[in-house]
Amino acid sequence: MDESKDVPKDFIKLKSEKLSVDEVSELVISPYCGAVSLFIGTTRNNFEGKKVIHLEYEAYTSMAETEIKKICRDVRQKWPSVKHIAVHHRLGVVPITEASVIIAVSSPHRTESLEAVMYCINTLKASVPIWKKEIYEDEYSWKENKECFWANSEK
Amino acid sequence: RLPSGRRRHRESAAEGCPPADGGSMRCQQVSVLYFARSAELAGLRCETLSVPRQITSLQLWEEIVRLHPRLAVIRDQVVFAVRQEYVLLGDQLLVLQPGDEVAIIPPISGG
Repeated sequence: MDESKDVPKDFIKLKSEKLSVDEVSELVISPYCGAVSLFIGTTRNNFEGKKVIHLEYEAYTSMAETEIKKICRDVRQKWPSVKHIAVHHRLGVVPITEASVIIAVSSPHRTESLEAVMYCINTLKASVPIWKKEIYEDEYSWKENKECFWANSEK
Repeated sequence: RLPSGRRRHRESAAEGCPPADGGSMRCQQVSVLYFARSAELAGLRCETLSVPRQITSLQLWEEIVRLHPRLAVIRDQVVFAVRQEYVLLGDQLLVLQPGDEVAIIPPISGG
């Protein structure tokens, strides 16, 4: 079998349209892989007792794409058998229950893709310049990931 | 020690540059990008600033707050991204080139 015809690829997209789990998982499917692992981040309808109407995302788009590429590079260093990686993040308004982010990774065996997906979402939350605003009934709040090392300024 | 300090009383970084009398004093036009809460506080998303070619990240922050005082409240929560690399506010000397992008980065919340 000529595996060189299925070169590992990274699929990175930031877009305002609704994300598709089918589309993202199909991107990473490979005849050399027995596993596709997926993470879907969806919008909850509540935060600390307040009703969340919807979320709004914005991004420093060019740098976000670069940072996600760095994450993909790190994944391939840590899990060399990983084949394809797809990271789709939605921007703009995201209604409740819809997906804000979908990450899919394929690998020959399941352990690597499962671990790589977890690494991707955890590292995205720590390093990719994307911001989420939670809209409540009477107010809104810019969220801060606990993974962000410059937030919660106890310096 | 401050490259632009002794001229600050004469002109602001946004209005004009000190005379070109050496590398560190020469000004560069950089693009400043504001995101999330910093865009709300500054009231804009981007602008061009003239800043000395060599400036610490803290000095750059102080220039920006001088122009947009409402940003002061988030001083302890932001970092910069200079040419798309994160930089803490502090003594790190930035060597800026014309057209460089400097972004104000409030705490992130992707995913």
